[in-house]
Amino acid sequence: MKTRFSLIITLFLLAMTACDRHSSRHILETGNAVYYWRTDLRLDSAEKAFLAQYHINKVYCRYFDVIMSDSGEPKPNATISFSDTLPDSIEIIPTVYITEDCMHQTHEGLAEKIVKRIQQMNETNDIENVREIQIDCDYTSKSRRRYYDFLREISQSSLFTSHFSLLSTTIRLHQLSMEAPPVDYGALMIYNTGDPRKWEERNPILDYRDVHPYLKHLDSYPLPLAAAYPVFQWTRTIHGVRVDHTVEAEEILRVKQAMESEREDLSRSIITYHLDKDNIERYKPDTYEKIYHH
Amino acid sequence: MKKFIIISLMAAMTLSTFACAWPGTDNYYLFRPYYAQSFKSRVEKICNDNWKAYIGDTSTDDWYSFHDDDVLKAARQKKDALMVSYVQNLQKYLKCVSVEQDKQYEWGYPTKEEIAAQQRDLKAVRTYAQGKTSSKLRSQHALLYMRCNMMLGQHQENIRFWEQTASQFIETVYKDMMKNIYAGALYKTGREMEAGQLFAEMDDYESLMTLYYQKRSYQAIRQHYMQNPTSKALPWLLTDFVNNAQEAADAITGGGGAVGKQFIRDINNQESSQMQQFCEVVVKEGKTDCPIMWKMAKAWLEFLSGKKREAVDDILAATKLDGTARMKDNAHVLLLYITGSQAKSGQAFDDYIADELEWLKGKQKEHEWGDGFFDEVENRFTNQVLIPHYKSNPIRLAAVCRALNSYGSGFDLDTLNVASLEKYLYYTNTPASTKFDKFLKRNLHENDTTMSELIGTKYMRLCQWDKAIQWLNTVPISYYNEHRTKEYLYYSLVRQWNVEPWSKRQWIDDSQAWWERDHKWGKHRKLDFCKEVQSMENSLSMLNGKALEERCYNLAVRYAQASIHGDCWWLLRDFKSCMDTVRVHEVDLGQKAVQMLQKAVKSSDQSLKRKALFALGYRELYNDMKGVHFWQYSQYSEQAHEYLTYYDRQSPQFLAFQMLYDETGDQPQEDYIRRCDEYAQFRKYYRQHK
Repeated sequence: MKTRFSLIITLFLLAMTACDRHSSRHILETGNAVYYWRTDLRLDSAEKAFLAQYHINKVYCRYFDVIMSDSGEPKPNATISFSDTLPDSIEIIPTVYITEDCMHQTHEGLAEKIVKRIQQMNETNDIENVREIQIDCDYTSKSRRRYYDFLREISQSSLFTSHFSLLSTTIRLHQLSMEAPPVDYGALMIYNTGDPRKWEERNPILDYRDVHPYLKHLDSYPLPLAAAYPVFQWTRTIHGVRVDHTVEAEEILRVKQAMESEREDLSRSIITYHLDKDNIERYKPDTYEKIYHH
Repeated sequence: MKKFIIISLMAAMTLSTFACAWPGTDNYYLFRPYYAQSFKSRVEKICNDNWKAYIGDTSTDDWYSFHDDDVLKAARQKKDALMVSYVQNLQKYLKCVSVEQDKQYEWGYPTKEEIAAQQRDLKAVRTYAQGKTSSKLRSQHALLYMRCNMMLGQHQENIRFWEQTASQFIETVYKDMMKNIYAGALYKTGREMEAGQLFAEMDDYESLMTLYYQKRSYQAIRQHYMQNPTSKALPWLLTDFVNNAQEAADAITGGGGAVGKQFIRDINNQESSQMQQFCEVVVKEGKTDCPIMWKMAKAWLEFLSGKKREAVDDILAATKLDGTARMKDNAHVLLLYITGSQAKSGQAFDDYIADELEWLKGKQKEHEWGDGFFDEVENRFTNQVLIPHYKSNPIRLAAVCRALNSYGSGFDLDTLNVASLEKYLYYTNTPASTKFDKFLKRNLHENDTTMSELIGTKYMRLCQWDKAIQWLNTVPISYYNEHRTKEYLYYSLVRQWNVEPWSKRQWIDDSQAWWERDHKWGKHRKLDFCKEVQSMENSLSMLNGKALEERCYNLAVRYAQASIHGDCWWLLRDFKSCMDTVRVHEVDLGQKAVQMLQKAVKSSDQSLKRKALFALGYRELYNDMKGVHFWQYSQYSEQAHEYLTYYDRQSPQFLAFQMLYDETGDQPQEDYIRRCDEYAQFRKYYRQHK
């Protein structure tokens, strides 16, 4: 009798966990977002119009990078200046890109320093109502353990809990096969999927064939995920020829469809990388409508 | 408190950029007609030397750093009240500058109050400095005044102050710095041409790049010349153009790395031809004060665009024209490069090269603390001229690469076959007979132990264990402990070659931070492996029946482990790369393992037979076999726009799994077989597709 009771309780808890896993995906509200990746927050009229036209309600704004200094300690770099402000209706999400080598060893207090710096930048520049921080790092199996400890340290720091309520991180496709990071949700970077050296065979920014092997991880990935799609151009000079890597609109939409058919809630929160006049003009409004279609 | 005096102009004038930048490449520029000593480092050095003299520091250190506390102490001892107040205000100004630095690079981002205080302090220091511009330290105070104005955005005031007051001061480094700030103010207020002249006079290359970033085309340079044929900015603009043309040419020949330099402009053949003609016009017009520069620019552009005969004529003509010593050296270098790349092989060429390399070494010594031009010439000349020239003579090629600075050439002793490597070692240890050999051997510094280790390892890769043992016997254990990475030593200590890789992968637990600990070899692991395998192979012919089959199986284990896809990759390589493949002059140890397993499979011992069949299903054995598929593989179908799965029933892996299935049935008893997920997939497929 006792055994059967335990079994029922166990099954009930398992069912609850399963429900919880799927309901936790709803932590991400339906909405449209962009990354802002320049060193000065200054929007021209086309960019402002884009924000309004596509009902952008979040801007993931790169505040600064964290790189390894010559002295072997991580330090901020390429900090953004705030020449402009965003409309009140748009939530700004401070985003910090941290190079992977910073996670090759533990740096005591790094998490606290980053949160403190973000908070100070907000105060100094009169940026209000910020509730989330996003960390971007191309972590590997070598750096994963330290990176996750670092993320835990951020979310548990008193400064974070008193000023912010959400922590997110970018997830690259190859990271889907790893244990999920300890954050509220991930922003799935659906770009830079190919090998730049094999550019003649596949578009290094995005190619469905490179995305395909990762699709199988999507449904079981235990974190809520926002989907970030590329709208940027990458120009290189290869063997004397200027090569512009741009993803065809059809390819973006094909990948989007494949992603969402594997995991429906990927259509909930859509981000484009990145806000820039040239990127806006690169695609027709109809394409943007489709990318931002929920 | 330690602080450098810095010129903030650069920070104030930086271009708005994206957060990411490309790394540089090593295709060094050969057109560098002037010694590039940047303004910033020049004035910083003079300022610091002045401080050093003031505090009476007689140390012979070449570089002194400004320590405000030391200067204040010295000033107080000298009862120099004016200097005390100057340094105190300079401290205040530097604190204001550091607020800007903190915004960019420090963890402590400034608060609103700190920014307000910064503005307040700047104004106070400015007022103080303005009041002292007629004092004994007028130049220093005037500079401080202009710096404050610059930080406060008062560019018009700086223009007025320079033109009416500071330009009359005596020549000092402080006046140079004021002039630089003045040039920046001209730029900020739209007087770009004047600013450009001043920046060029001062060798302020960072500011020139900011100023002329969009004005570096042939047309822009021509227009610039038309306005002022002796413009100080022209050498910089011409150099930038020619170097960009080199960058474009290198990209075509593959000599320029994959991504190019940060400020690259594409110069196509048409634009290069226009510039070549224009260079000739400039030389003929006679308005320029440095015709040699234009003539050698023309020659180098011709060479880069494939007009090699014209390039020889023009560079010879250039060497006869007047110019600075550096320009003459530059023409000499270009003559060497242009003629050297077209020369025929032979003793005469070797002797010529020996003389020229001696000349280059002499220049390197003469300009030891210079801008590195002659070192970079040597690098490019080695990679682009000498290496192709001697590529059919592996010993000479190795000697050239090792004696000269061949960084970036991609040459590695490891690429030589073992016979050539042995000959090369002999070459390095015998006396030279020709002029060129004498030069090379004087510059070779080979370590015989490193060479022996490499030769021994190469014999291991050929499975010639007796030769490998002979060479590795001369390599002490301490060599590995001193010359291998912590990672290498750790992997080589914990990974065993007698573990069956198809049954047990020797994963490393990365949660234990093993890379932070020291590891040392107590035994010669490579030598032990060679001796063990040699002994096992030597006795093969004496065995038969089950003993022979078991021996074959055990040898297969060792071959598989030592292969580049095995856990004991450290036996044949110094590091593991998933991109690695079996190279030419190497035995495919995966294939060798397969051959041994095929003998073991014939065993009448059921257990051994099953183990061998299971092992033959191990996909890592087939990674380097050309044209061999796995039993199941995915391939992208252009028609279906989708990945499709294929099954190759003739693949060795399929055949092995099939025989194993026939042997064990659908429910194998052996735990190692049941645990294999790949075999489970095979069973699932095979059940339905027998």
